[in-house]
Amino acid sequence: MSEMWINMGPQHPMTHGLWNLRVRIDGERILDVDPEMGYLHRGIEKISEDRHYNEVITLMDRTCYVAGIAWEHLYVQAAEKALGIAPTERSDWIRMMSEEFQRLASHIMWYAAFVQDLGLMSPFLYGMRDRDLILDLFQSYTGGRLTYEYMRVGGVRNDVPEGFTHRAREVLDWLEPRFVEYDRLCMGSDIFRRRCDDLGVLKANDCVRLGVTGPMLRSAGSKRDLRKDRPYSRYSQVEFDVATADSADVTGRYLVRMEEMRQSVRILRQVLDWLDSHPGPVLADHLPRWLGAPYAPIGREAYLLKRNYPKGVGLSAIEEPHGEACAYVVNEGGEHPYRVKFRSPVFANLSAAHHYLVGYHVADIPPIMGSVDVCVGEVDR
Amino acid sequence: MNPEDVRTKLAAAGAPGIISIEPFEGVAARVKFDPTAATALFPIVRDALGFPHLSMVGGIDWVERYEVFYLVWSDPAKTYLLLSADLDAKAPHIETASACWPSANWHEREAWELVGIQFDHHPDLRHLLMPDGYQFHPLQRAFKLHEPEDLEVKVRHV
Amino acid sequence: MALTTLWDVAYFLASALLTLVGRVIPPLAAPLSNGDVIWGLSALVFGAILLAASMINTIMLIWFERKMLGRFMDRRGAMHVGYAGLLQNFADGLKLFRKNTFKPREADELGFYAGPIAYMVTSLLMFGVLPISTGWSDGSLPLSMLLALVIFSFAPLFIFISAWSSNNKYSLMGGMRSAAQMIAYEVPILLAVVAVVLVSGSFDLNTIVAEQQNYWFWGPLVLAMVVFAIGMLAEMERIPFDLPEAEAELVEGWNTEYGGMLFAFFMLADYLRALAGSFLIVLLFLGGWTLPTYVPSALTTFPLAGIFWFLVKTYAVFGVFVWIRAALPRVRTDQLLRIGWMRMIPLSLAAVVLAAALVLVKCLPVFGCIPSMGG
Repeated sequence: MSEMWINMGPQHPMTHGLWNLRVRIDGERILDVDPEMGYLHRGIEKISEDRHYNEVITLMDRTCYVAGIAWEHLYVQAAEKALGIAPTERSDWIRMMSEEFQRLASHIMWYAAFVQDLGLMSPFLYGMRDRDLILDLFQSYTGGRLTYEYMRVGGVRNDVPEGFTHRAREVLDWLEPRFVEYDRLCMGSDIFRRRCDDLGVLKANDCVRLGVTGPMLRSAGSKRDLRKDRPYSRYSQVEFDVATADSADVTGRYLVRMEEMRQSVRILRQVLDWLDSHPGPVLADHLPRWLGAPYAPIGREAYLLKRNYPKGVGLSAIEEPHGEACAYVVNEGGEHPYRVKFRSPVFANLSAAHHYLVGYHVADIPPIMGSVDVCVGEVDR
Repeated sequence: MNPEDVRTKLAAAGAPGIISIEPFEGVAARVKFDPTAATALFPIVRDALGFPHLSMVGGIDWVERYEVFYLVWSDPAKTYLLLSADLDAKAPHIETASACWPSANWHEREAWELVGIQFDHHPDLRHLLMPDGYQFHPLQRAFKLHEPEDLEVKVRHV
Repeated sequence: MALTTLWDVAYFLASALLTLVGRVIPPLAAPLSNGDVIWGLSALVFGAILLAASMINTIMLIWFERKMLGRFMDRRGAMHVGYAGLLQNFADGLKLFRKNTFKPREADELGFYAGPIAYMVTSLLMFGVLPISTGWSDGSLPLSMLLALVIFSFAPLFIFISAWSSNNKYSLMGGMRSAAQMIAYEVPILLAVVAVVLVSGSFDLNTIVAEQQNYWFWGPLVLAMVVFAIGMLAEMERIPFDLPEAEAELVEGWNTEYGGMLFAFFMLADYLRALAGSFLIVLLFLGGWTLPTYVPSALTTFPLAGIFWFLVKTYAVFGVFVWIRAALPRVRTDQLLRIGWMRMIPLSLAAVVLAAALVLVKCLPVFGCIPSMGG
């Protein structure tokens, strides 16, 4: 067969979202790839310029639909720095707990989709089953299962309900043995190892050069994890290890994510203990009224607003489930942010697609792209 | 790493075109530089200062000027550094960073199509998020939402 | 007249029908009592019974797979149409019947339509050859096993025709994979069958089953059975060997462009082949419709006991395939072909040698003394 281009996407089972991987193949071998993005571009950065600070949070849930609360966390941190507002201590812990639960949910979702791409059918259902428990927890304190709109500039919307920590611990107790099952189905399978070992290799120096972060980078041996290296929220007060692997291949990324889930459980237990013993307010006092939804200050209030709330620029960076995410919020006074810019980890990871796909087989594309954990919502924004 | 460290290291490496080095919350420093010195400055930041990882490139339309900023990360120092340059409002352009940090490739494509900053010598300056042939730069302040616009765009057939 | 064979049943039904018509319309009575007419109609009835039986079994097989996969995946499978979802697949089939049949503009019309139909027809043909109990087929077909395997190996041809004529790159890749895979696994299957032939001394499936009265062949031919089962897995294109329709990379493989009834043909033919493959394993290695002699005779003498036990065995074999599907990921093309050419063929050759040695040293009756093997 001669060379040909095939479009894997935008409607293709491999893509998990709406994007197009154009692949030039010779028989089954990949000669060139060209990811085409933009099918899901909603212009979140532009819409944000027309929104009140708290209204942007709604958009953040839509940025990455499997890690919504992590993006809320990213945004509110940047917005708080830009506005000069500090969150209350308890709300900060709740945010950290939310982010870790989201990491668990996102990684379990990743596991389900990834094994499905390999043709392993049952674990997909196991993953969805276990993720549902976490979504139930989210529902019990945010009201949402996928789009939460929970965090606020200066804190979170509401405290966790009565008995929440107990239920959360039950979920964690259920999840921990499940990870062993997951592992047995994958690492215990010879076919899985044959499919995934030495596949999609991207060494650490290439990762750094190409801006690849997150589990992909850590699977290559690097220990960069913003939760450790540049602790935000209350991550400096909890104990956890950074998961790494050496193989820099699909198996390595699998192992890193599996270990991260265990570490998330470890963090969550500490956070739940803290929440039990430290009641307190979850929203800062004296927040400007115009942070919230449709309230346009006029007259004297508008004048005070311009005078009292100095301009500022906020930069925040978190270790999102997919990697390093940054937000850059410019406050030029007024009730809307002047400019919001996000760094999506998957955006950078995908831009290196050429380097970890070329030379492998067509059949390797789903596991490799699965191990990248593509979330198109945050690439296109 | 604080702004003073950055200043001494940049001076030691003979970095050209530095306009100011100021403190900035959450990063080591914000370095303002002259866009014409970009080609020489980027490798110095990467190698002499030790910032091999480029996190993001973004553009801001300040109406009277454009700003382009680069966020870079250092593993040993465990800190970010913010580079920023002011560009001309009429024809904003700057040398590409992708020769120095290959990861800048897509970020610059995005900044080019959304903000309208031209990156000279970029290897692959095509549309990324917008359809091919899209005429507008949505993140410019002049681009207003809720306005009907001519969406007659040419779609490439492959 | 004793209705011991399926042919007798068909003949009885046909002649009863013709007599009835003759009673109602007296002028037709004489021409309809002609022996050739009765024979022709009973052949049609015979075929219709076979068709209906194999179709219903196939659809029940799909139901079985859905329920079993559901349990493996910690869910319940089809539940709502009929008792425990028994009628779900009939409903699905009806839905597909009602759907519009469409063809891509650039597709080759003849190949596009003829491919799935030929695939379906050849898959059905197999059930005319495979006996599922004594008296199932009239008379002996001395080469029935060879005929079954020949019909079985038509498939890649029709798959490739329909894949190529749908004019889609994914279909073409799927068709190529399918052809390569089936050809690669055809060889070990045939070699494994040679081992059976050596032991049983016949190409007739009825004789092969009769030979297993004392010991089922999986005992002496365990290697051949493993090779045969793995090869069948590849021929059926089931996980872990479902690369031709690997949905993650090839969308739906060679049937990407098919929808509605034509897709239903492919789906049905796939399961027909799965059923036929399970039949073959039961016939060749698991004693067909026989049970070990130490089993109480009450279990083997009730009406249609042979068919019952045959189907139980068939579903058990298929259950193993479903289990494999629930537990294993998919292999890659090059790995698949490497397994086929470099592992399966040497193994099947070893199986043939082993079988020949067993026959030569005349130690086969030993297996009759091991209870679990049937004796």
